[in-house]
Amino acid sequence: MSEHMPEARDPKLANTLDPRLPNTLDAMLAKLPREVQPARELWPDIAAALDAPRSASRTSHAAPRFHTGRRWQLAAAAVLLMTASSAITYALMQRSLQAQVMQARQQTVQQMQPVLAATPASFGYQRLGPEYARVHAELDAQSVRYLRSLPSIERTKVERSLADLRRAARELSARLAEHPSDPLLQELLLSTYQNEIGLLTRVNDLGAGLGADL
Amino acid sequence: MPNEGMLVAAARGGDTTAFERLYRAHCSRVFGLCLRMTRRRDVAEDCVQQTFIRAWRSLDAFEGRSAFGTWLHRIAVNEVLMHQRNRGTRAELDTRSERAASVEDAFEEPWQPPSSNERDAGEVMDVERALATLPAGSRHVVILQAVYGYSHEEVAEMLGIAVGTCKAQLHRGRKLLRERLGLPEADA
Repeated sequence: MSEHMPEARDPKLANTLDPRLPNTLDAMLAKLPREVQPARELWPDIAAALDAPRSASRTSHAAPRFHTGRRWQLAAAAVLLMTASSAITYALMQRSLQAQVMQARQQTVQQMQPVLAATPASFGYQRLGPEYARVHAELDAQSVRYLRSLPSIERTKVERSLADLRRAARELSARLAEHPSDPLLQELLLSTYQNEIGLLTRVNDLGAGLGADL
Repeated sequence: MPNEGMLVAAARGGDTTAFERLYRAHCSRVFGLCLRMTRRRDVAEDCVQQTFIRAWRSLDAFEGRSAFGTWLHRIAVNEVLMHQRNRGTRAELDTRSERAASVEDAFEEPWQPPSSNERDAGEVMDVERALATLPAGSRHVVILQAVYGYSHEEVAEMLGIAVGTCKAQLHRGRKLLRERLGLPEADA
Protein backbone atom coordinates (compact mmCIF):
# COMPACT_ATOMS: atom_id res chain seq x y z
CA MET A 1 0.00 0.00 0.00
CA SER A 2 2.66 2.44 1.02
CA GLU A 3 4.55 2.15 -2.25
CA HIS A 4 1.65 3.77 -4.04
CA MET A 5 1.08 6.61 -1.68
CA PRO A 6 4.05 8.78 -2.65
CA GLU A 7 2.75 8.90 -6.22
CA ALA A 8 -0.12 11.09 -5.12
CA ARG A 9 1.65 12.81 -2.24
CA ASP A 10 4.02 14.68 -4.42
CA PRO A 11 4.89 18.36 -4.70
CA LYS A 12 1.70 18.99 -6.60
CA LEU A 13 0.00 18.99 -3.24
CA ALA A 14 2.03 21.84 -1.92
CA ASN A 15 -0.75 24.27 -2.68
CA THR A 16 -3.40 22.32 -0.81
CA LEU A 17 -1.86 20.32 1.99
CA ASP A 18 0.35 21.28 4.86
CA PRO A 19 1.39 18.24 6.91
CA ARG A 20 2.97 20.54 9.49
CA LEU A 21 -0.51 21.42 10.73
CA PRO A 22 -1.83 18.19 12.26
CA ASN A 23 -5.27 19.48 13.16
CA THR A 24 -6.15 21.16 9.92
CA LEU A 25 -8.53 19.99 7.27
CA ASP A 26 -5.56 19.21 5.07
CA ALA A 27 -4.08 16.93 7.65
CA MET A 28 -7.39 15.15 8.07
CA LEU A 29 -7.72 14.66 4.33
CA ALA A 30 -4.16 13.39 4.22
CA LYS A 31 -5.10 10.59 6.60
CA LEU A 32 -7.70 9.19 4.24
CA PRO A 33 -6.62 5.93 2.67
CA ARG A 34 -6.05 6.21 -1.03
CA GLU A 35 -6.50 2.48 -1.43
CA VAL A 36 -9.70 0.62 -0.59
CA GLN A 37 -10.18 -3.06 -1.30
CA PRO A 38 -13.37 -3.99 -3.13
CA ALA A 39 -15.57 -6.36 -1.16
CA ARG A 40 -15.66 -8.87 -3.97
CA GLU A 41 -13.23 -10.18 -6.53
CA LEU A 42 -13.62 -8.07 -9.67
CA TRP A 43 -11.00 -9.72 -11.85
CA PRO A 44 -13.02 -12.69 -13.20
CA ASP A 45 -15.56 -10.40 -14.88
CA ILE A 46 -12.77 -8.26 -16.25
CA ALA A 47 -10.86 -11.29 -17.52
CA ALA A 48 -13.97 -12.57 -19.26
CA ALA A 49 -14.31 -9.28 -21.10
CA LEU A 50 -10.68 -9.27 -22.23
CA ASP A 51 -11.38 -11.95 -24.79
CA ALA A 52 -12.93 -9.36 -27.06
CA PRO A 53 -10.45 -8.10 -29.66
CA ARG A 54 -8.58 -5.11 -28.41
CA SER A 55 -9.27 -1.91 -30.27
CA ALA A 56 -6.33 -0.42 -32.00
CA SER A 57 -8.01 2.92 -31.79
CA ARG A 58 -6.48 5.86 -30.07
CA THR A 59 -9.78 7.00 -28.65
CA SER A 60 -8.71 6.72 -25.05
CA HIS A 61 -10.43 9.01 -22.62
CA ALA A 62 -7.13 9.66 -21.03
CA ALA A 63 -5.12 11.13 -23.81
CA PRO A 64 -7.31 12.67 -26.47
CA ARG A 65 -5.08 15.67 -26.81
CA PHE A 66 -2.31 13.59 -28.31
CA HIS A 67 -4.34 12.47 -31.28
CA THR A 68 -4.64 14.09 -34.63
CA GLY A 69 -7.85 13.89 -36.59
CA ARG A 70 -6.14 11.89 -39.26
CA ARG A 71 -4.93 9.19 -36.95
CA TRP A 72 -8.32 9.00 -35.34
CA GLN A 73 -10.00 8.52 -38.67
CA LEU A 74 -7.57 5.82 -39.67
CA ALA A 75 -8.01 4.04 -36.39
CA ALA A 76 -11.77 4.36 -36.70
CA ALA A 77 -11.57 2.65 -40.08
CA ALA A 78 -9.68 -0.22 -38.52
CA VAL A 79 -12.24 -0.53 -35.76
CA LEU A 80 -15.09 -0.59 -38.24
CA LEU A 81 -13.39 -3.31 -40.19
CA MET A 82 -12.70 -5.39 -37.12
CA THR A 83 -16.28 -5.00 -35.96
CA ALA A 84 -17.70 -6.17 -39.23
CA SER A 85 -15.30 -9.08 -39.33
CA SER A 86 -16.46 -10.10 -35.88
CA ALA A 87 -20.05 -9.84 -37.00
CA ILE A 88 -19.40 -12.32 -39.77
CA THR A 89 -17.78 -14.73 -37.34
CA TYR A 90 -20.73 -14.35 -35.02
CA ALA A 91 -23.16 -15.01 -37.83
CA LEU A 92 -21.32 -18.18 -38.72
CA MET A 93 -21.43 -19.35 -35.13
CA GLN A 94 -25.16 -18.74 -35.00
CA ARG A 95 -25.72 -21.04 -37.91
CA SER A 96 -26.71 -24.10 -35.94
CA LEU A 97 -29.16 -22.13 -33.84
CA GLN A 98 -30.82 -20.66 -36.86
CA ALA A 99 -30.99 -23.84 -38.87
CA GLN A 100 -34.55 -24.69 -37.96
CA VAL A 101 -35.81 -21.22 -38.63
CA MET A 102 -34.01 -21.13 -41.92
CA GLN A 103 -35.63 -24.35 -43.07
CA ALA A 104 -39.02 -22.72 -42.79
CA ARG A 105 -37.78 -19.78 -44.81
CA GLN A 106 -36.15 -21.90 -47.47
CA GLN A 107 -38.87 -21.69 -50.10
CA THR A 108 -39.24 -17.94 -49.78
CA VAL A 109 -35.53 -17.31 -50.06
CA GLN A 110 -35.28 -19.53 -53.11
CA GLN A 111 -37.96 -17.51 -54.83
CA MET A 112 -36.27 -14.24 -53.96
CA GLN A 113 -32.81 -15.33 -55.02
CA PRO A 114 -33.18 -17.32 -58.19
CA VAL A 115 -29.68 -16.53 -59.35
CA LEU A 116 -28.03 -18.05 -56.35
CA ALA A 117 -30.46 -20.88 -56.10
CA ALA A 118 -29.86 -21.88 -59.66
CA THR A 119 -26.13 -21.53 -59.63
CA PRO A 120 -24.61 -24.97 -60.01
CA ALA A 121 -20.99 -24.56 -59.02
CA SER A 122 -19.54 -21.09 -58.84
CA PHE A 123 -20.71 -18.64 -56.21
CA GLY A 124 -18.19 -15.88 -56.63
CA TYR A 125 -19.39 -12.31 -56.53
CA GLN A 126 -19.41 -12.27 -60.32
CA ARG A 127 -22.64 -14.24 -60.06
CA LEU A 128 -24.26 -11.16 -58.55
CA GLY A 129 -24.16 -9.43 -61.90
CA PRO A 130 -21.87 -7.21 -63.97
CA GLU A 131 -22.80 -4.03 -62.09
CA TYR A 132 -21.79 -5.53 -58.77
CA ALA A 133 -18.56 -6.82 -60.27
CA ARG A 134 -17.77 -3.37 -61.68
CA VAL A 135 -18.43 -1.58 -58.38
CA HIS A 136 -16.45 -4.18 -56.49
CA ALA A 137 -13.48 -3.84 -58.81
CA GLU A 138 -13.51 -0.03 -58.58
CA LEU A 139 -13.75 0.01 -54.83
CA ASP A 140 -11.08 -2.63 -54.51
CA ALA A 141 -8.67 -0.70 -56.71
CA GLN A 142 -9.32 2.53 -54.82
CA SER A 143 -8.93 0.92 -51.45
CA VAL A 144 -5.61 -0.62 -52.47
CA ARG A 145 -4.38 2.88 -53.27
CA TYR A 146 -5.65 4.32 -49.98
CA LEU A 147 -4.32 1.42 -47.98
CA ARG A 148 -0.80 2.08 -49.27
CA SER A 149 -0.89 5.46 -47.56
CA LEU A 150 -1.84 4.05 -44.16
CA PRO A 151 0.73 3.49 -41.43
CA SER A 152 1.88 -0.11 -41.54
CA ILE A 153 0.11 -1.14 -38.33
CA GLU A 154 -3.26 0.18 -39.42
CA ARG A 155 -2.78 -1.09 -42.95
CA THR A 156 -1.99 -4.57 -41.69
CA LYS A 157 -5.13 -4.63 -39.58
CA VAL A 158 -7.34 -3.42 -42.39
CA GLU A 159 -5.83 -5.89 -44.83
CA ARG A 160 -6.22 -8.68 -42.32
CA SER A 161 -9.88 -7.84 -41.85
CA LEU A 162 -10.49 -7.76 -45.58
CA ALA A 163 -8.64 -11.05 -45.93
CA ASP A 164 -10.86 -12.55 -43.23
CA LEU A 165 -13.99 -11.45 -45.06
CA ARG A 166 -12.73 -12.78 -48.38
CA ARG A 167 -11.69 -16.07 -46.87
CA ALA A 168 -15.14 -16.39 -45.33
CA ALA A 169 -16.68 -15.67 -48.73
CA ARG A 170 -14.52 -18.32 -50.40
CA GLU A 171 -15.40 -20.89 -47.79
CA LEU A 172 -19.09 -20.11 -48.03
CA SER A 173 -18.89 -20.26 -51.80
CA ALA A 174 -17.27 -23.66 -51.61
CA ARG A 175 -19.93 -24.89 -49.22
CA LEU A 176 -22.64 -23.54 -51.50
CA ALA A 177 -21.18 -25.48 -54.38
CA GLU A 178 -21.88 -28.61 -52.35
CA HIS A 179 -25.26 -27.44 -51.05
CA PRO A 180 -26.58 -24.99 -53.63
CA SER A 181 -30.06 -24.76 -52.14
CA ASP A 182 -29.00 -24.07 -48.56
CA PRO A 183 -30.69 -20.73 -47.77
CA LEU A 184 -28.54 -20.03 -44.74
CA LEU A 185 -25.35 -20.33 -46.78
CA GLN A 186 -26.88 -18.12 -49.42
CA GLU A 187 -27.74 -15.44 -46.90
CA LEU A 188 -24.36 -15.61 -45.26
CA LEU A 189 -22.57 -15.32 -48.57
CA LEU A 190 -24.67 -12.34 -49.59
CA SER A 191 -24.10 -10.77 -46.23
CA THR A 192 -20.36 -11.33 -46.52
CA TYR A 193 -20.27 -9.68 -49.93
CA GLN A 194 -22.33 -6.79 -48.60
CA ASN A 195 -19.98 -6.38 -45.66
CA GLU A 196 -16.96 -6.43 -47.91
CA ILE A 197 -18.49 -3.77 -50.13
CA GLY A 198 -19.45 -1.77 -47.06
CA LEU A 199 -15.94 -1.92 -45.67
CA LEU A 200 -14.31 -1.01 -48.95
CA THR A 201 -16.71 1.90 -49.22
CA ARG A 202 -15.87 3.10 -45.72
CA VAL A 203 -12.14 2.85 -46.37
CA ASN A 204 -12.54 4.81 -49.55
CA ASP A 205 -14.78 7.40 -47.93
CA LEU A 206 -12.27 7.89 -45.15
CA GLY A 207 -9.40 7.93 -47.62
CA ALA A 208 -11.15 10.57 -49.70
CA GLY A 209 -11.86 12.56 -46.58
CA LEU A 210 -8.21 12.60 -45.65
CA GLY A 211 -7.35 14.80 -48.56
CA ALA A 212 -6.00 14.78 -52.04
CA ASP A 213 -2.52 13.76 -50.94
CA LEU A 214 -3.63 10.18 -51.01
CA MET B 1 10.17 -9.15 -10.75
CA PRO B 2 9.09 -7.22 -13.87
CA ASN B 3 8.58 -3.52 -13.47
CA GLU B 4 5.42 -1.75 -14.46
CA GLY B 5 6.74 -0.74 -17.87
CA MET B 6 7.50 -4.34 -18.70
CA LEU B 7 4.06 -5.42 -17.54
CA VAL B 8 2.42 -2.75 -19.66
CA ALA B 9 4.46 -3.82 -22.68
CA ALA B 10 3.54 -7.45 -22.13
CA ALA B 11 -0.12 -6.61 -21.66
CA ARG B 12 -0.05 -4.55 -24.82
CA GLY B 13 1.14 -7.67 -26.58
CA GLY B 14 -1.90 -9.56 -25.33
CA ASP B 15 -0.52 -11.05 -22.11
CA THR B 16 -3.51 -11.16 -19.77
CA THR B 17 -1.39 -12.45 -16.89
CA ALA B 18 0.69 -9.29 -17.05
CA PHE B 19 -2.48 -7.24 -17.18
CA GLU B 20 -3.84 -9.04 -14.15
CA ARG B 21 -0.70 -8.07 -12.25
CA LEU B 22 -1.28 -4.48 -13.24
CA TYR B 23 -4.86 -4.85 -12.08
CA ARG B 24 -3.73 -6.25 -8.71
CA ALA B 25 -1.31 -3.38 -8.27
CA HIS B 26 -3.83 -0.64 -9.04
CA CYS B 27 -7.25 -2.05 -8.28
CA SER B 28 -7.63 -0.83 -4.72
CA ARG B 29 -6.47 2.66 -5.57
CA VAL B 30 -8.86 2.92 -8.52
CA PHE B 31 -11.63 1.49 -6.37
CA GLY B 32 -10.99 4.05 -3.63
CA LEU B 33 -11.26 6.83 -6.17
CA CYS B 34 -14.44 5.46 -7.76
CA LEU B 35 -16.04 4.78 -4.39
CA ARG B 36 -15.52 8.31 -3.17
CA MET B 37 -16.72 9.80 -6.42
CA THR B 38 -19.82 7.61 -6.73
CA ARG B 39 -20.49 7.04 -3.01
CA ARG B 40 -21.83 3.60 -3.83
CA ARG B 41 -19.94 0.38 -3.56
CA ASP B 42 -21.82 -1.46 -6.34
CA VAL B 43 -21.47 1.43 -8.76
CA ALA B 44 -17.81 1.83 -7.87
CA GLU B 45 -17.21 -1.85 -8.55
CA ASP B 46 -18.83 -1.53 -11.96
CA CYS B 47 -16.74 1.52 -12.72
CA VAL B 48 -13.55 -0.28 -11.72
CA GLN B 49 -14.37 -3.18 -14.01
CA GLN B 50 -15.18 -0.89 -16.88
CA THR B 51 -12.01 1.07 -16.24
CA PHE B 52 -9.78 -1.97 -16.58
CA ILE B 53 -11.68 -3.32 -19.56
CA ARG B 54 -11.38 0.01 -21.29
CA ALA B 55 -7.73 0.26 -20.32
CA TRP B 56 -7.05 -3.16 -21.82
CA ARG B 57 -8.69 -2.17 -25.06
CA SER B 58 -6.86 1.14 -25.16
CA LEU B 59 -3.42 -0.02 -24.10
CA ASP B 60 -2.03 0.85 -27.49
CA ALA B 61 -2.94 4.45 -26.75
CA PHE B 62 -0.94 4.56 -23.54
CA GLU B 63 2.23 6.34 -24.51
CA GLY B 64 3.91 6.40 -21.13
CA ARG B 65 3.87 10.17 -20.85
CA SER B 66 2.20 9.84 -17.48
CA ALA B 67 2.33 7.11 -14.87
CA PHE B 68 0.19 4.11 -15.68
CA GLY B 69 -1.77 4.74 -12.48
CA THR B 70 -2.52 8.29 -13.53
CA TRP B 71 -3.70 7.06 -16.90
CA LEU B 72 -5.97 4.55 -15.18
CA HIS B 73 -7.36 7.27 -12.94
CA ARG B 74 -8.26 9.37 -15.95
CA ILE B 75 -10.17 6.48 -17.42
CA ALA B 76 -11.82 5.81 -14.07
CA VAL B 77 -12.93 9.41 -13.68
CA ASN B 78 -14.38 9.26 -17.16
CA GLU B 79 -16.26 6.07 -16.31
CA VAL B 80 -17.70 7.66 -13.20
CA LEU B 81 -18.77 10.77 -15.06
CA MET B 82 -20.32 8.70 -17.84
CA HIS B 83 -22.19 6.64 -15.28
CA GLN B 84 -23.50 9.72 -13.58
CA ARG B 85 -24.55 11.28 -16.87
CA ASN B 86 -26.38 8.09 -17.82
CA ARG B 87 -28.01 7.95 -14.45
CA GLY B 88 -29.16 11.54 -14.76
CA THR B 89 -30.97 13.07 -11.89
CA ARG B 90 -31.80 9.76 -10.26
CA ALA B 91 -28.64 10.12 -8.21
CA GLU B 92 -30.12 13.14 -6.54
CA LEU B 93 -32.99 11.03 -5.27
CA ASP B 94 -30.67 9.05 -3.03
CA THR B 95 -31.04 10.01 0.55
CA ARG B 96 -28.10 11.39 2.41
CA SER B 97 -28.24 8.56 4.92
CA GLU B 98 -28.08 5.97 2.14
CA ARG B 99 -24.98 7.63 0.75
CA ALA B 100 -23.31 7.86 4.10
CA ALA B 101 -24.18 4.27 4.95
CA SER B 102 -22.74 3.03 1.70
CA VAL B 103 -19.50 4.89 2.24
CA GLU B 104 -19.27 3.72 5.82
CA ASP B 105 -19.89 0.12 4.80
CA ALA B 106 -17.18 0.36 2.24
CA PHE B 107 -14.54 1.89 4.45
CA GLU B 108 -15.36 0.27 7.74
CA GLU B 109 -13.68 -3.10 7.39
CA PRO B 110 -11.12 -3.03 4.60
CA TRP B 111 -9.03 -0.16 5.81
CA GLN B 112 -6.92 -0.94 8.84
CA PRO B 113 -3.66 0.94 8.68
CA PRO B 114 -1.08 -0.55 11.02
CA SER B 115 -0.42 2.69 12.81
CA SER B 116 -4.00 3.80 13.22
CA ASN B 117 -5.73 4.07 16.56
CA GLU B 118 -9.42 4.38 17.33
CA ARG B 119 -9.31 8.13 17.38
CA ASP B 120 -7.74 8.25 13.93
CA ALA B 121 -10.23 5.73 12.59
CA GLY B 122 -13.12 7.77 13.94
CA GLU B 123 -11.68 10.90 12.42
CA VAL B 124 -11.27 9.19 9.08
CA MET B 125 -14.91 8.13 9.13
CA ASP B 126 -15.98 11.66 10.02
CA VAL B 127 -14.08 13.03 7.05
CA GLU B 128 -15.44 10.32 4.75
CA ARG B 129 -18.98 11.11 5.85
CA ALA B 130 -18.45 14.82 5.35
CA LEU B 131 -16.93 14.21 1.93
CA ALA B 132 -19.91 12.11 0.93
CA THR B 133 -22.31 14.95 1.67
CA LEU B 134 -20.56 17.45 -0.59
CA PRO B 135 -22.19 18.40 -3.89
CA ALA B 136 -20.80 16.35 -6.76
CA GLY B 137 -18.75 19.12 -8.34
CA SER B 138 -16.94 20.08 -5.16
CA ARG B 139 -16.61 16.49 -4.02
CA HIS B 140 -14.91 15.37 -7.21
CA VAL B 141 -12.40 18.19 -7.08
CA VAL B 142 -11.60 17.70 -3.40
CA ILE B 143 -11.15 13.95 -3.90
CA LEU B 144 -8.90 14.29 -6.91
CA GLN B 145 -6.84 17.12 -5.57
CA ALA B 146 -6.73 16.89 -1.80
CA VAL B 147 -6.92 13.12 -1.50
CA TYR B 148 -5.24 11.84 -4.66
CA GLY B 149 -2.85 14.69 -5.17
CA TYR B 150 -3.54 15.90 -8.67
CA SER B 151 -2.86 19.49 -9.68
CA HIS B 152 -5.57 22.00 -10.58
CA GLU B 153 -4.69 21.57 -14.24
CA GLU B 154 -4.85 17.79 -14.11
CA VAL B 155 -8.14 17.80 -12.22
CA ALA B 156 -9.62 20.32 -14.62
CA GLU B 157 -8.64 18.15 -17.56
CA MET B 158 -9.96 14.97 -15.99
CA LEU B 159 -13.31 16.53 -15.15
CA GLY B 160 -13.57 18.57 -18.33
CA ILE B 161 -13.86 21.87 -16.52
CA ALA B 162 -11.91 25.12 -16.52
CA VAL B 163 -9.02 25.54 -14.10
CA GLY B 164 -10.80 28.51 -12.55
CA THR B 165 -13.89 26.40 -11.97
CA CYS B 166 -11.72 23.74 -10.40
CA LYS B 167 -10.23 26.25 -7.97
CA ALA B 168 -13.65 27.61 -7.09
CA GLN B 169 -15.02 24.12 -6.49
CA LEU B 170 -12.08 23.26 -4.28
CA HIS B 171 -12.58 26.41 -2.25
CA ARG B 172 -16.27 25.69 -1.88
CA GLY B 173 -15.66 22.06 -0.97
CA ARG B 174 -13.10 22.91 1.67
CA LYS B 175 -15.38 25.52 3.16
CA LEU B 176 -18.26 23.05 3.39
CA LEU B 177 -15.99 20.38 4.83
CA ARG B 178 -14.77 22.73 7.55
CA GLU B 179 -18.34 23.63 8.44
CA ARG B 180 -19.43 20.03 8.62
CA LEU B 181 -16.40 18.93 10.58
CA GLY B 182 -16.62 21.88 12.93
CA LEU B 183 -13.20 23.17 11.99
CA PRO B 184 -12.26 26.84 12.25
CA GLU B 185 -11.57 28.93 9.17
CA ALA B 186 -8.05 29.55 10.35
CA ASP B 187 -6.37 26.81 8.34
CA ALA B 188 -7.57 28.13 5.01
